[in-house]
Amino acid sequence: MAFKRDKKEEEDGGGNPFENIEKTSVLQEARAFNDTSVNPRKCTHILTKVLYLLNQGEQLGTTEATEVFFAMTKLFQSKDVVLRRMVYLGIRELSSIAEDVIIVTSSLTKDMTGNEALYRAAAIRALCSITDVTMLQAIERYMKQAIVDKNPAVSSAALVSSLHLARSAGELVKRWVNEAQEAFSSDNVMVQYHALGLMYHIRKTDRLAVIKLVTKLTKQSLKSPFAVCLLIRIACRLLEDEDGAPGADSTLLSFIESCLRHKTELVIYEAAHAMVNLRRTTAKELAPAVSVLQLFCSTSKPPLRFAAVRTLNQVAMSHPSAVTACNLDLENLITDSNRSIATLAITTLLKTGAESSVDRLMKQIASFVSEISDEFKIVVVQAIRALCTKFPRKHSVLMNFLSAMLRDEGGLDYKASIADTIITIIESNPEAKETGLAHLCEFIEDCEHTSLAVRILHLLGREGPKTKQPSRYIRFIYNRVILENAAVRGAAVAAMAQFGAQCPDLHENVQVLLARCQMDSDDEVRDRATYYYTILALKNRSLYNSYITESLQVSIPALERSLHQYTLNATETPFDMKSVPLAAVEPLVSEIVAQKAVPEGTIMSTPAPQRLGVSKEESALELVSSIPEIAALLPQLGPIFRSSEPVELTESETEYVVRCIKHCFARHLLLQFDVLNTLSDQLLENVRVSLEPAEGYRILREVPIPRLPYSESCSAFCLLEFPQDDLSASTGTFGATLAYMVKDCDPATGLPDSDEGYDDTYMVEDVEVTLADQVQRVWKGNWAAAWEEAANLCELEDTYALTSMRTLQEATTNIVQFLGLQPADRSERVPDGKSNHTLYLAGIFRGGHDVLVRAKLALADGVTMQLTVRASTPDVAELVTSAVG
Amino acid sequence: MGLLDKLVTLFGLRKQEVKVLVVGLNNSGKTTVLNHFKAEDDKSTEIVPTVGFNIEKFKNQNVGFTALDMSGQGRYRDLWEFYYKDCQGIIFVVDSSDRLRLAVVRHELDLLLQHPDVAGRALPILFLANKMDQRDALSSVKIAAGLGLDRILDKPWHICASNAVTGEGLEEGVTWFTQQVRQVGQPGNRPSRGGPLAAAK
Ligand SMILES: Nc1nc2c(ncn2[C@@H]2O[C@H](COP(=O)(O)OP(=O)(O)OP(=O)(O)O)[C@@H](O)[C@H]2O)c(=O)[nH]1
Ligand SMILES: [Mg+2]
Repeated sequence: MAFKRDKKEEEDGGGNPFENIEKTSVLQEARAFNDTSVNPRKCTHILTKVLYLLNQGEQLGTTEATEVFFAMTKLFQSKDVVLRRMVYLGIRELSSIAEDVIIVTSSLTKDMTGNEALYRAAAIRALCSITDVTMLQAIERYMKQAIVDKNPAVSSAALVSSLHLARSAGELVKRWVNEAQEAFSSDNVMVQYHALGLMYHIRKTDRLAVIKLVTKLTKQSLKSPFAVCLLIRIACRLLEDEDGAPGADSTLLSFIESCLRHKTELVIYEAAHAMVNLRRTTAKELAPAVSVLQLFCSTSKPPLRFAAVRTLNQVAMSHPSAVTACNLDLENLITDSNRSIATLAITTLLKTGAESSVDRLMKQIASFVSEISDEFKIVVVQAIRALCTKFPRKHSVLMNFLSAMLRDEGGLDYKASIADTIITIIESNPEAKETGLAHLCEFIEDCEHTSLAVRILHLLGREGPKTKQPSRYIRFIYNRVILENAAVRGAAVAAMAQFGAQCPDLHENVQVLLARCQMDSDDEVRDRATYYYTILALKNRSLYNSYITESLQVSIPALERSLHQYTLNATETPFDMKSVPLAAVEPLVSEIVAQKAVPEGTIMSTPAPQRLGVSKEESALELVSSIPEIAALLPQLGPIFRSSEPVELTESETEYVVRCIKHCFARHLLLQFDVLNTLSDQLLENVRVSLEPAEGYRILREVPIPRLPYSESCSAFCLLEFPQDDLSASTGTFGATLAYMVKDCDPATGLPDSDEGYDDTYMVEDVEVTLADQVQRVWKGNWAAAWEEAANLCELEDTYALTSMRTLQEATTNIVQFLGLQPADRSERVPDGKSNHTLYLAGIFRGGHDVLVRAKLALADGVTMQLTVRASTPDVAELVTSAVG
Repeated sequence: MGLLDKLVTLFGLRKQEVKVLVVGLNNSGKTTVLNHFKAEDDKSTEIVPTVGFNIEKFKNQNVGFTALDMSGQGRYRDLWEFYYKDCQGIIFVVDSSDRLRLAVVRHELDLLLQHPDVAGRALPILFLANKMDQRDALSSVKIAAGLGLDRILDKPWHICASNAVTGEGLEEGVTWFTQQVRQVGQPGNRPSRGGPLAAAK
């Protein structure tokens, strides 16, 4: 009992003296810094509160921050060591918010070069946080001295700060390479490590120099195990690089291999981790690394066991057979008192084990799943997801397990990952669909997370009508209407309408329920009910298709803006939906996951929730409207139909970095060139990209960048008109050259040496305009119905041999990317082991032309494809077919 | 209160702490002046342009000074005013060989005098007509005239020529200054007003 109370008090935060502090009162207290005589104890306490607030995520405005910052500068008059160090921390925290922070530069340089050893390292870090490129030269000398300082703390601080500075002032920091080299020979393990970090960073862009550095160092025996670890990582990066490290590959590999026999566990682990993660590692090379990890599995040190089993868990995906050798050791870890280790061991076994062991292992997890943290529960869920694809027959055991987990306590991330897994199972395994939906129905009966409940209701609306017995779901859905908050009720109304539209048997019942919902207390719910009720009452399939089964295709924020505009000008003409920009379809979650290389060693939680809010086109419009020359033309151009991803026109690390974004309007193309000047001794003026447009294009307007100082990025624009009569000429290649006037200037001040400049040009890569730039993806919930409806549009059909494609998946992915259309019915995924596949695509061509594409693919010595296009005009259909050819 | 303390107070010897602000255009010699006053083992061997400010401590006639050595570069002059409020005296250093920028000095001085945290306060101001050793240096009288110091009626002020490198003239200035701040520190004592006489010395 007593114990319980203690625990309660702890939860109440009785132990946190800062719990009840509040921004305004702390800022008020901070005025004490201005007192004529400084009271170090009191000021230290106040500063602690300020830092606490900032670390809790409290936001300070510029004025507030500046005020605190300046008050804090007065604390430099106190010699109290603790207070001074708090001031350094305060400077670092506020340096990015407050103005005029360079005011403490001299005070900090004094401290970093002074006699008080306790000040020096921290002063360096604070100094680097307030220094900008223009000030850096003034402190360069001190930094160089500090790097080679005898005091390891000072040297380390200077090295690490240099690394941070290199991000904004790479060129300058490069000049410190000799000092870094000298620090590298230090006896201190940290200094050597940090020095290597800086040496590598300075050479990073020069492959050959890095190779030289690494091969030289691999022959020495370094004192610092941390430095060896870093060296291993650099070696890996070289090996993973596309070009490899010609001539040095074998040296690097055998270096990493040799580290498996290093005397420090840290290094051994790093080497093993590196070996198993190298893409090129073969089973034979893997063996020694895995046996090292196996050995670690049975040490008495929990961190080592944890690291080993976590790495094995990852390898289990890529090289299951190699991990099987460790099964016995992993079995021993199942009962490890550290639950994180146990969880990883079990999930590894699940990945490598046979179907027969699934039941046993699941039972084992069940015995302690309530004791582990959400993060590890998610690991379990992911293992289950992998199992379901591997052993489809096991889905009922696994599904039961998942539904038990769903009923447990847990945070949103955890619950969402379970729901995601069930949804994946439903989608990939038709047999599991009904059970899965049933579990989800049960889950929403008692689900505290609104967002999750809404998602599941949406899924029920989409999948439920296609099941054998749709009526079963209506009760679950209607219960939500009675019991839940408005957001969930609204989702439930929308879900019911899906049944009404797709299941004629249920039409009448749904109408009765919807009629009741029109009495709801919430506006949105009532509106939805009325909307669906009215449409369903008309009993017109085509209306159902466009207004119930398919969702709105326009971008919602843009719609809101257009409607607002419309209400401002009193007019008789009805609102034209076609004038609203379309919403870009968000890439599928699976695509995001595939693209985003998961940093090795991280435990993946559920994919980031889909971004809501401003689309690319929206933010492009905002940018473009701020350029007067273009903004004036916007009424003629209409809405931005589609903005492309940025395309790099230069290599990175060149003098000027240029990238191009293509904004497509109904009849115009606006090219946005973002130019970055990386030369500190040049000021560029009148910067533009001069184009040689493809035939048929007409340049209407060019907007150069008037002034482009060092390290700034600005945008130049070029507005073109698409070829008017020949649609097929709209795809093409434009030659491009960067043209500008150079004024040489003083790198320190950025001021030009004289008013005289000279013209110069710089070759960049061609700009390519593709079909994909001119279409917007549209997601069809019921593609087949849309295809049917389009039967009376223009149809073109052609057959192609895609000889360079080796698999159906490769061909599918390429076609999707190439045409820029949206796949429907998950047809972008080719089920394993199929020899033919059909891909369904939909989109809209600029000018508002619907495009539907069906691609039938067959695997036969390469891939052959029969492509059928339905589009509202013949030339659009032709453009699509010719784009593939 | 112990006997010793009593005695100390009685003779006006009680250790006093004052905060002074050292301002003036860049390159006028502020940091060099302060360096002169610092204890021997505290002195910097080389002096670089100040960025922002620096806090230095020194003693004169048993008064402890905390001096804020401000940067005089154009882009930092706006920052002086943040420190006006809690200072008890100002040392204004002028490069007397920099005839060209005397107008700038006057402008900055006007801004300082008009600032709400300075105007109306009897803050003692010590003007140092520094770099007197330079060949084309103006005399302190000319500087006083050039800056229109006789306009300052509500503050004690004093001007003297100095050479911060050798220390010449600094003692005189700081002795006056110390006396002033001491009087300010002791309630009831009206500070003596500076005037053309003082400047003519
Ligand atoms: N000849 C001569 N040189 C002086 C005198 N006082 C200062 N200097 C020199 O003038 C230069 C500038 O002096 P600083 O003390 O850095 O000037 P400052 O006013 O602190 O300048 P900022 O910090 O930039 O505002 C240094 O090279 C000094 O050696 C002087 O009385 N005579
Ligand atoms: Mg200075």
